[in-house]
Amino acid sequence: MAPVLDNYLLTPATLRSIEVHGATQTRRSLLDHVLNPIIEESAKGPTTLGELRARLTQASNKLSRFGIFHPDSIRVLGSIVNEGQPGHQPAIPELDVSISVREQSRSALRLGTDFGNAEASGYTRAIFRNIFGGAETLAIDASAGTRTRSAYNATFSTPLNGNPNVRLAVEALRSYTQKPWASHEEHLTGGNFRLGWETKAGDDHSLAYSSVWRQLTNLAVGASPAVRADAGDSLKSSVTHIFTRDRRDHTGPLRQGGYILRTVSELAGWGPLKGDVSFLKSELQLNGARPLTLPGVSVGGGFRVGILYPLGSGFSIPGRGIRPSRINDRFFLGGPTDVRGFNIGGLGPHDGQDAVGGDVFAAGGVNMLLPVPGIGPSSPFRIQLFANGGRLVAFKNKGKAKEEDVSSTLDSRTVLDGMKSAVGELVSGLPSLAAGVGLVYAHDVARFELNFSLPLVERRGEEVQKGLRVGVGIDFL
Amino acid sequence: MSTTSALGWRPPIPRPLKRLFDSVPLLTFDANELPARAQSSTASDIPTLYVFSTEEDARKGLPSFNPKCLKWQTFLKLSRIPFNILPSTNHASPTGSLPFLLPARTSGAIEPIPSSKLYNFILSQKQQQQDEEFHPRQEAYQSLLDVPLRNSFLFTLYLDPTNSNLLDTLYIHPSSSSLWIRATLRHQLRRAAESEILKTTHSVSSGGPLKGFAHGVVHPDEIYRSAKEALEALAYELSIDNPGAEGNTGWFFGATEPGLFDAAVFAYVYLMVRFFSRPDNAEGEKESGEEETRPWLGDLVRQAGNGELVGHMNRILELTWPDLVVRDTHEHGQMEEM
Repeated sequence: MAPVLDNYLLTPATLRSIEVHGATQTRRSLLDHVLNPIIEESAKGPTTLGELRARLTQASNKLSRFGIFHPDSIRVLGSIVNEGQPGHQPAIPELDVSISVREQSRSALRLGTDFGNAEASGYTRAIFRNIFGGAETLAIDASAGTRTRSAYNATFSTPLNGNPNVRLAVEALRSYTQKPWASHEEHLTGGNFRLGWETKAGDDHSLAYSSVWRQLTNLAVGASPAVRADAGDSLKSSVTHIFTRDRRDHTGPLRQGGYILRTVSELAGWGPLKGDVSFLKSELQLNGARPLTLPGVSVGGGFRVGILYPLGSGFSIPGRGIRPSRINDRFFLGGPTDVRGFNIGGLGPHDGQDAVGGDVFAAGGVNMLLPVPGIGPSSPFRIQLFANGGRLVAFKNKGKAKEEDVSSTLDSRTVLDGMKSAVGELVSGLPSLAAGVGLVYAHDVARFELNFSLPLVERRGEEVQKGLRVGVGIDFL
Repeated sequence: MSTTSALGWRPPIPRPLKRLFDSVPLLTFDANELPARAQSSTASDIPTLYVFSTEEDARKGLPSFNPKCLKWQTFLKLSRIPFNILPSTNHASPTGSLPFLLPARTSGAIEPIPSSKLYNFILSQKQQQQDEEFHPRQEAYQSLLDVPLRNSFLFTLYLDPTNSNLLDTLYIHPSSSSLWIRATLRHQLRRAAESEILKTTHSVSSGGPLKGFAHGVVHPDEIYRSAKEALEALAYELSIDNPGAEGNTGWFFGATEPGLFDAAVFAYVYLMVRFFSRPDNAEGEKESGEEETRPWLGDLVRQAGNGELVGHMNRILELTWPDLVVRDTHEHGQMEEM
């Protein structure tokens, strides 16, 4: 069969016309963006059936990525002009292509549940698709969860220039989230503009400007002075870039091969951005897994590192007027989906019971998955052996006496010294460590873990867990 | 520090497991140090009172600009209890309003003391067993403070547009630098002040099925008239409590020491004199025939009775902030001698 097919694909052919059926609500210009390149290519000269087929397949992939057509409904049919009619055969066969699609409903209401890391929530979502015919989408969400008391969100997104790989989105949000590990609630109100694109290699980039009013309020009775000092309002105006390279093996939820690399970089308050906080915050995450020769056995590891570097605000005199970080922006470490064996926010500086967060951190872990004896490697259950640890260090003002005001400002020399010593502290000495064994159930929706862990190294004030804990989440360390 | 499981029904840990738990962690290091912003607020061996104030004023221990905070600040000072003050916001308070007190780190107690429990705390610090005697008229006069004086203060600061710069400087600007957030907060504060005033004043259409909704209208003339009457009544009380200029102690209800009521009156009087006094150059405006739209609260204080309120204020200042004693220099002879 194959040689016949190959010969068939090499048959020269030209494109005469393309018709699209079923895209009644879709703008012509959007379809033009996808199909014009094919027409232009074909106008340059004769090509082969194989090449036409490849270009048409690419076009149909693009159409499906707009998200406005039913995924299985895109059919591409080609018919040779005047085939079978004697006396009218042109030298090179011409092709009429007919693409038929079925549009998804313009609006939909969805109720569902969502599993995030350390949180489960229920949501209502109203989606309006293809609003102006150009694959624009408006999604309005209202959700409530175990930790998020309520959250409202409206996002409008559109592909840019008819290219489904490049999307522009505008979002407005309002949320009320409880943070019991630091005895407070955070209320967020704000919006952002986001441009996302996918490179040819399959990497995702996203560049966003966001402006968020954070209100730290509803403190618990036992809240510590460190948290009380940060209570109140602050505006964060920042530009964020996120890069994701996901090369994980997605066959099956256990993801036993490949790696994922993600970097998040955020610049807040500097120059024209203004706002009440000013910093450069950067985080890198690398997770990988590798199956071993024995069936169902794999080893994996993860590593995360981040730094929050305070900057001078707005157009203040360079080198002065730098304010230290607030709890809203600092990193937290620990938790069943994070560094196992510690409470949520259990690592790092604590004031009494409250985790106050840190400015530099590094965390890593290794794990080995084994099939459960008696059930075998084909089930989604695995036994897990893990060891992980981390270190979260805060930036301290080494220079002055401790009676400085909460809002006293620093100069860049003090900041540099403080950050250098924080990084030095990060790498000196053992990180806080925990190890254990557990059972993993990998479902499409989320990954469930039941772990028995013991702390090996800790620091006074950090909150460790001894014994059994449940973890539910999407991404684990 | 270990935490127990959230499952309360858990049976007791078997002995070998307990031994295992006790043997970990293998290594314990010193605690992580706190970040820069937290360093200043956590180390203290005397109690800290969280009030509305500016950074600079708080460092120097100067009076707060909020009447409720100033009342407790003054009373603590009069009771000669050493304490710090820290500038703060409503969000930091356990009850949603300032002031509140955090006991000294060294005392071991970590729970904040809201203003409702502050009196008992101060008594325990002074080692007084009983409450001070409550004078029978005190409750009646307390309502003078709670309603007319408070309403006039709220109106003047929050709702009078001539004071919007002051409102911004004191309460709005320190919260955030964003114009949008400031506008929202300003609006929220004004609505809250208006509804507080309407709770206690009668508007034309209150009552009926809509009673309880602050839908009425605020009448400034009524507010200022009530305030003037209240101030006159307080001045009168002072004069009858302290007959004769010599040998009088000068405190309310003839007490030998200033008490909480003295501090409460002082808080309003001091802030009214400080913030809502007619500026010196306004005399010229009056002469040009301009109608006085509203009385100045500071003037009402000075004119009440024979100026006993200002005298009372200065007597308290001598005990608490001697540098701030007000020497009046108004030309129109409405002031009394100290």
